[in-house]
Amino acid sequence: MYRASDRPTAPATASDLELLRRFEPAAYFTKGEPFFPADVEHYVQDCSLWEHYPDGREELLVKQGELTLEKLVEPHPAAFGTVRFLRFIENLSLTESAQVLADQARLRARLRNYFHAGIGRLARGGFLPRLVDGLFSLSFLLRGRVSAATAAAAELDYYEMFKEEPKYVYYGRVARQNGWTVLQYWFFYCFNNWRSGFHGVNDHESDWEMVAIYLYEDGGQLIPEWVAYASHDFKGDDLRRRWDDNGQLEKNEEYHPVIYTGAGSHASYFRPGEYQAEFNLPLPSWLSGLVRTWNKFWTETLGQPAGNPFRIPFVDFARGDGLRIGPGGPQAWSPVLIDESTPWVSQYRGLWGLFARDPISGENAPAGPMYNRDGSPRSSWYDPLGFAGLDKVPPPPQALELLRSNCDKVVHRQEELEQRISEKAGELQSLGIEMKGMEGNPHLAKQHAALGKTLSALADEVKGLRRERSENTALLQGLTQQLERLNAGEQDDPRAHIRHLAEPDKPTQAFRFDRAAETWAAISLSLLLFAIAVLIFLAPHYVWAGLTIIFLLFLVAESILRGAFVQTIARITLILAMVAALILFFHFWKWIIVAALLTTGAFLMFQRLRELTG
Amino acid sequence: MARRKKSDRKKRPIAVTVIAAAIVALFLIRLYQVFEPLIRQQVFQNGIAVPLFDGWRLTDLGRALFSSVAYLVLSVAGIVVLIGFLRLRRWSWVLLMSWTGISLAITLVNYFYAQHLLGSQPNYAVMASNVIIAFALNMTEVQRIFGIRRDENVPGI
Repeated sequence: MYRASDRPTAPATASDLELLRRFEPAAYFTKGEPFFPADVEHYVQDCSLWEHYPDGREELLVKQGELTLEKLVEPHPAAFGTVRFLRFIENLSLTESAQVLADQARLRARLRNYFHAGIGRLARGGFLPRLVDGLFSLSFLLRGRVSAATAAAAELDYYEMFKEEPKYVYYGRVARQNGWTVLQYWFFYCFNNWRSGFHGVNDHESDWEMVAIYLYEDGGQLIPEWVAYASHDFKGDDLRRRWDDNGQLEKNEEYHPVIYTGAGSHASYFRPGEYQAEFNLPLPSWLSGLVRTWNKFWTETLGQPAGNPFRIPFVDFARGDGLRIGPGGPQAWSPVLIDESTPWVSQYRGLWGLFARDPISGENAPAGPMYNRDGSPRSSWYDPLGFAGLDKVPPPPQALELLRSNCDKVVHRQEELEQRISEKAGELQSLGIEMKGMEGNPHLAKQHAALGKTLSALADEVKGLRRERSENTALLQGLTQQLERLNAGEQDDPRAHIRHLAEPDKPTQAFRFDRAAETWAAISLSLLLFAIAVLIFLAPHYVWAGLTIIFLLFLVAESILRGAFVQTIARITLILAMVAALILFFHFWKWIIVAALLTTGAFLMFQRLRELTG
Repeated sequence: MARRKKSDRKKRPIAVTVIAAAIVALFLIRLYQVFEPLIRQQVFQNGIAVPLFDGWRLTDLGRALFSSVAYLVLSVAGIVVLIGFLRLRRWSWVLLMSWTGISLAITLVNYFYAQHLLGSQPNYAVMASNVIIAFALNMTEVQRIFGIRRDENVPGI
């Protein structure tokens, strides 16, 4: 019988709010984090409401200070392509920007809320991703972006908001699907300052994050089985951990999963540490195809380690050394229950912060818990099981029943198959004898041919039935073993479902020369540009050769600092060898083909002659 | 009866022999490059009859002697690497790969800028030998036998 006696429980009759409180998570932040889960009502009062039209115009609908949650959901017809959005921080002049940046520095000094990156993300990524990262940073000049002053002003405003009403809020939702009870905890942050505050990918006004706990009912009690945290780079099965996986899932006072929140990004992690969140540049499809083909050739044909220079590594700091909110910590949650009947949840489909007109959306604010940026329904809301890959997983008590029922079905089918195989095999033998009897009688040629077809079809059928029986035997064996394990109270490996496990970096072990690597990482790109400028000025006729040599020298310097000299030399030499091979083929293709033909001919002759002579 | 001592020698893959043959071929080419300029300048008949420098510049004879000495050093280095390589030493793999990379880079610069930069034709024989060596050194079994590849994650560049 399936046992979960070591699990905490809650009565199935408990109210939604009681359930949410019983299992509410504890959130551990990184020192230096300025934004914490906030109250949307207060935030909305500090915002103005806008509309961005397809022709590029923007219109103010409700001024700052006049907006409420009720006004937010008032219907306002708009043309296709219109984006409705909130604006937390109004446009700042140059003087105001300088002022808020200075005020932000003073506030941080006063609160002693500093962040130290340690070995930064630049040193953790290689030279090529860093080069692409440089281009990515430059792209902000062309794309819409949220300014550093906006981030600073948001930090100051949030601080004032919190002083007026000091509380940490989560928005809890309880959904029931396919035998599971899903507790969703939604966290709203006024700002995501991952880029400006923590060297990350993006900044945007407002941020919605979610974690979910999946419970099943057994004997009138709800028992937690899975916990899923929304995170970068991961989806489906990879998002969830089993409640008894103590190596991955930390819990406070048995009932409360611990979330390590990424600094600035607010992504949720199961374990403390610094995670490499990789950002894939949105490449055109032809270029992605080319990169895929090259990677396949590089790894499969040449046997080299995989790498993608268009994947920029960003570090998400989830150290858990800052503020702690929730059970077991000094700060408590203020829960608010939400569902589809909550007007601001279901009726406001716009963005919860600035629409920065960023074509790749990284700097645009997100929509609410129920919607995506384009107003379409958010899958984690309407399909909370599919979000964590649980749509295919029955709750444990049902799993046992389903397994038994499956076993019975297979056993029944096996019996059916035995009977049919016996009948059909007899029929086949009878036809065989009949056919044999026709042989040697030319006047029965037609009947013989027709019988041959029937016999062949019947033989195929019998073969198919025997194959099915054989496959079912193996299936039944597996199902029976699984049933025995469940009956004995054994559980599978809690991580069997995970394909990609999020693991924190071990930065202290990554480099031979930490400080030098970090300094090199910071200045190498600029040095490269200076060297190219000098080359163009002093030796304009040899730009390509010079560029190649400079690039190679930088790669070698990088590899020495990263302790990868041998691998780098091997890769560079291999690339040069490929270029040289192409040149040789271009000049001597006739000779190469002739040599290949002669060699193949000689080899085949040797093989055949050896066979001939025994 | 004395027990036969088991040999702990690592089995040498065929690629190692191919590389060794390529090193020998390169050695012979380099040896030719040592003597060719000296013969062209008739050093063996006349000795060093004219000055090697004209002010700060090398004379034709100076250039010939300089390149011969350089190729001689390379030939000797090639022999040292060959010995290390046949004894399956890790350092020889690293040295040979580095040298092949540098040699390929020079050959390619020579190819693309032959007329402008060096005033000579690219040496396709050297290029071909280097390509063979580079691909052979990259083979998994060769890297394993030299202790280069241990199938663990290495930081990317």
